Amino acid sequence: MLGLLRSRRKRIAITALLVILSLTSLMVGSLGGVTPGALAAGDKTAWSVLWYSRLPRTAAIILSAAGLSAAGMIMQAISRNKFMSPSTSGTTDAAALGLLLSFVLLNRQPGLVQLLFAFVFALAASALFTTLLSRLKLREAVYIPLVGMMYGGLISSVTTAIAYRFDVMQMMSAIALGSFARLGSFTMVYVVIAPLFFAVLYATRFSIIGLGEDFAKNLGLSYKRVVFTGLVIIALVSASTFVSVGPLPFVGLIIPNMAASFYGDNLKKSIVDLMLFGADFVLVCDILSRLVIYPFEMSVSLTISVAGGAIFMFYLLRRMYVGKKREAA
Amino acid sequence: MIEICGLNQSYDRRGGYTLRDINLTIRERAVTALVGANGAGKSTLLGVIANIVRPLSGTVLLDGEDVRRIKASAAAKKLAFLKQTLRLGIRITVEELAEYGRFPHCGGRPRDADMEKIDDALRYMKLSELRGRYLDELSGGQRQRAFIAMILAQDTPYIFLDEPLNNLDIKHSVEMMKIVKRLVAELGKTVVIVLHDVNFAAAYADRVVAMKDGRIMSEGNPEEMITKDVLDRVFDHDFNIAEHGGRRVCLYY
Ligand SMILES: Nc1ncnc2c1ncn2[C@@H]1O[C@H](COP(=O)(O)OP(=O)(O)OP(=O)(O)O)[C@@H](O)[C@H]1O
Ligand SMILES: [Mg+2]
Repeated sequence: MLGLLRSRRKRIAITALLVILSLTSLMVGSLGGVTPGALAAGDKTAWSVLWYSRLPRTAAIILSAAGLSAAGMIMQAISRNKFMSPSTSGTTDAAALGLLLSFVLLNRQPGLVQLLFAFVFALAASALFTTLLSRLKLREAVYIPLVGMMYGGLISSVTTAIAYRFDVMQMMSAIALGSFARLGSFTMVYVVIAPLFFAVLYATRFSIIGLGEDFAKNLGLSYKRVVFTGLVIIALVSASTFVSVGPLPFVGLIIPNMAASFYGDNLKKSIVDLMLFGADFVLVCDILSRLVIYPFEMSVSLTISVAGGAIFMFYLLRRMYVGKKREAA
Repeated sequence: MIEICGLNQSYDRRGGYTLRDINLTIRERAVTALVGANGAGKSTLLGVIANIVRPLSGTVLLDGEDVRRIKASAAAKKLAFLKQTLRLGIRITVEELAEYGRFPHCGGRPRDADMEKIDDALRYMKLSELRGRYLDELSGGQRQRAFIAMILAQDTPYIFLDEPLNNLDIKHSVEMMKIVKRLVAELGKTVVIVLHDVNFAAAYADRVVAMKDGRIMSEGNPEEMITKDVLDRVFDHDFNIAEHGGRRVCLYY
């Protein structure tokens, strides 16, 4: 029993943190005076704010963060590159393009249609990028996010051009900012649950794919099929989080890197903890964005960019430093 | 049984053939050593048999079935293939690698029986103490042994090892070959192994197949193969054959 506790120590800590942060997240906000006291006294407004606003928001944070963390980890496994993620491979930008096109072509649509558009574009973009990368065989891993961001930038400029042409710039800038306070339709984020389930189920397959095509084949795996499954998971996660909360940059990039330094690259071992940890990280960022200019709130993208950007720089520099050392040896 | 008929292979048509008219039957429950100079086509032949490299023509029958018709998931329970170059893109532990070897049997969810196989494989390769270590923190030889432990955990009747003695010191090379012998004697496996040291082939193999320029030059028991005549032709090198304790050894330096 004690041994089990010890081996699960990290998961217990991450989960405990998640519970504390979730409760905090439920209590923070300018509206309705939601406090433990008010709730205990059965205050109707407090309960309804909690039920209709705070709870869905916290659920959206946890699900989208968990989803993006897992999607990033899978992307890094199948591309064998620690700097791949939905936001450094054009996937998120393509989801934005899809979402915008659904507005331009069909006007305001139910969430499911928006999701479908975003999904198709995200899948196509990430499939194209992975194919490109395997053809290009870039030597230096650190160039990949740069190429990916250029590719994403290209897609974004198409999006902007279309938005400009059809006079929907305002809407575009609204969807390009991640926020857990927008649109009010968090429902699409629940779609993340399905790909997450498959991510856990397929964890070992994704790790084996990381060992190479022949290796996978020797173990009876179809490389192409597993890669495609991975891309579908990534695209579905990117699309549903984008449609419901917008872009959350860096989450899919830094959380897998942090997890890998604790657990290695065996996805089966790390994937659940990784999702919980990603949720912790975004919860902290979201709570901060609600407190910094209280009673107003900033876009959570901004907070994540600042915190995530710093952590990303750390990994990038460490990689360059280690790479140099390796060359010297 | 593995039967190879009329196999030809070429990586690109202009570059000529890598394998030419290969006909070979691999003996069951025996160690077959594949020898030959660099570039002779040994790895390519193993790749074609393991259905990783496509042949131009010819067939490979695995227990009477064309390997290209067998589903990958079924083939993985029959034949395990350890490649020559082991590049490691990911950071995993020895035990995790061995666990991947069980994938064809348990699909990533090892049961008690699978865990036992993993333990056995690690013990066989003397890696029990190192099971929790990350592969990139091991010596080259220890890492090589970890990959072989994975192949053992896969527990297939046919085992193909492409230069498994790479990175192994003399003691571990001998131990490795003894393990290969035990696999045949105790577990009834069929092993095909690419070796560069002809003396190892002579001492531990039941059959020796010599390749040159994509063809099988000659094939036979070690006594038939370790002759100056055969070796000089296969390796384009001047060999000296000596006798030691009733066994022939070759000197090539
Ligand atoms: N993937 C490939 N693409 C093109 N040519 C290849 C490829 N792999 C091998 N070759 C060529 O095929 C020939 C046979 O190579 P192979 O790897 O089968 O030789 P080998 O006998 O295993 O040699 P070694 O002892 O060096 O491992 C060589 O001339 C090699 O250059
Ligand atoms: Mg070879």
